[in-house]
Amino acid sequence: MGIVVECEHVTKRYGDLIAVNDLSFSIEEGEIFGLVGPNGAGKTTLIEMIEGLRTPDSGSIKALGLDTTKQDGELKERIGVLLQTTSIQPDIKVKEALKLFASFYRHVPDNTEQLLRTLSLEDKADSRFKKLSGGLKQRVAIALALVNDPEILFLDELTTGLDPQARRNMWDLVENISTQGKTVFLSTHYMEEAEKLCDRLGIIDYGKIIALDTPGNLVSDLGGESKVTFGIEDKDIDASRFEVLEAVSRVEKLEDGFKLYTGDENTTLQELVRLADREELKVSNLRTESSNLDDVFLALTGREMRE
Amino acid sequence: MKLRGLRQLAWSEFKLNLREPAMLFWALAFPALWMSLFGAIFKEPMPGFGYQGLSYANFLLPGGIGLVILASAFIGMPITLTTYRQTGVLKRLRVTPLKTSTLALGVTISQFIFMFLGIVVLFVVGKMFFDVQVLGSWAALIGVTVVGMITFLALGSAIGSVTRSPRAANAITMMIFMPMIFLSDMFLPISMLPAGLQPICKALPLTPLNIVLRDIVYGVPLSELWQLGIMAGWLVSGSLVTLKFFKWE
Repeated sequence: MGIVVECEHVTKRYGDLIAVNDLSFSIEEGEIFGLVGPNGAGKTTLIEMIEGLRTPDSGSIKALGLDTTKQDGELKERIGVLLQTTSIQPDIKVKEALKLFASFYRHVPDNTEQLLRTLSLEDKADSRFKKLSGGLKQRVAIALALVNDPEILFLDELTTGLDPQARRNMWDLVENISTQGKTVFLSTHYMEEAEKLCDRLGIIDYGKIIALDTPGNLVSDLGGESKVTFGIEDKDIDASRFEVLEAVSRVEKLEDGFKLYTGDENTTLQELVRLADREELKVSNLRTESSNLDDVFLALTGREMRE
Repeated sequence: MKLRGLRQLAWSEFKLNLREPAMLFWALAFPALWMSLFGAIFKEPMPGFGYQGLSYANFLLPGGIGLVILASAFIGMPITLTTYRQTGVLKRLRVTPLKTSTLALGVTISQFIFMFLGIVVLFVVGKMFFDVQVLGSWAALIGVTVVGMITFLALGSAIGSVTRSPRAANAITMMIFMPMIFLSDMFLPISMLPAGLQPICKALPLTPLNIVLRDIVYGVPLSELWQLGIMAGWLVSGSLVTLKFFKWE
């Protein structure tokens, strides 16, 4: 596995605003790499610099071994890009657009039909772009990004503005593309999406990558604390009754129940059930919550990541 | 430059123009309708044109050619440029290996094809109903027509450059388009218009095109050829405005 993208001390300013701040990282061949962060964190600026659309003020970026500022022509032959908002000529038909975009590249596989199939666009081949729904437009945009059989696929804000069903379909699609051996670089501000899709992800905030690892490691580095929440009928029961349960570190009293913070979800659950049984407590709405990437972001920045 | 890309681009832009109702009406249908209407009502040009006694059918042709060029360039170019800008088409094209120069050339060629189509429609209608003939040199006709096309494309680009939305471009176009038809010596002789208006009429870009094309179609000596200089002036101004104000994003 080689390195396909390498950023070294990359900085980009817009006036007083530092959009990307002395940032270094690399992406490995074949992985799905995610860039997660709130709006305005610098995701798009960074991606567009790697695509050769913008020039960094300082630092260097290499993609596929090419300098993104000096060899962007060659680079564009070999990458596929989904911009944050893709639009093509409103009246162009889907199939025409694929043909048109294919004609811009030196080497193109004759894969129009196959692309339409992969993206379930066969019935839309003769529809005009402006008549398509948001999800379908996004599919067309991905098809256009794939016409040159790119080595790296960039997906900026893949599912922003899509309904949950369309979003899930996109995830399947990206996993599908990834199994064909392409490197995928995506940005999102949905933690759930990053957690589901990415092999590795970088959390970006104020133009800096503040954490970079697999989603699993990022969560477990938090200490792996889980939450057990339940409702209880007897309002007078005291929090101290639960503090003694094994592995519980902290108890929070809720309006009609409790929230237990635990280092070992299983043991705590078993103990809780035994306690309830023994003391005939009426426990309801029992549920557990593992830490997720939202907690990681909160822990790292002290802020919630808003959608 | 990749020829395949240029060819595909010109062809698909041409097809997109065919899907634009305003283009279909004003650049393909309207000039032929105009010719048919005037051909059916009048038997001779209005007095004041100096072409009395010559075939009336031939009087209608140059004005029709001018109309095709005017409509196609003033409607098609601004629509393309403003739409490209508003929807971010260009940014998408910029992440492909397509060069901006290829893009500009492709859009221009598509306009040429569209104008050519409009002129063919006009000729066919003229031949079928009015027996139009080109008595002068075909080469001169084609040459001056191409000069007209380039001039008006530059002016169309200028409109597309100074306006933000397709809607605004359309409003400006219509504001210029209509008066120009009446003031450019097309069917109403300039000498019949108020004296104060006449210098303006003569300075309009469509006027010299009409006058020179008419001389060629009638096969009379091209004494007004110097008027192409007025068009050159418009070509330069249109290009300068485009270069100064044009933004892709």
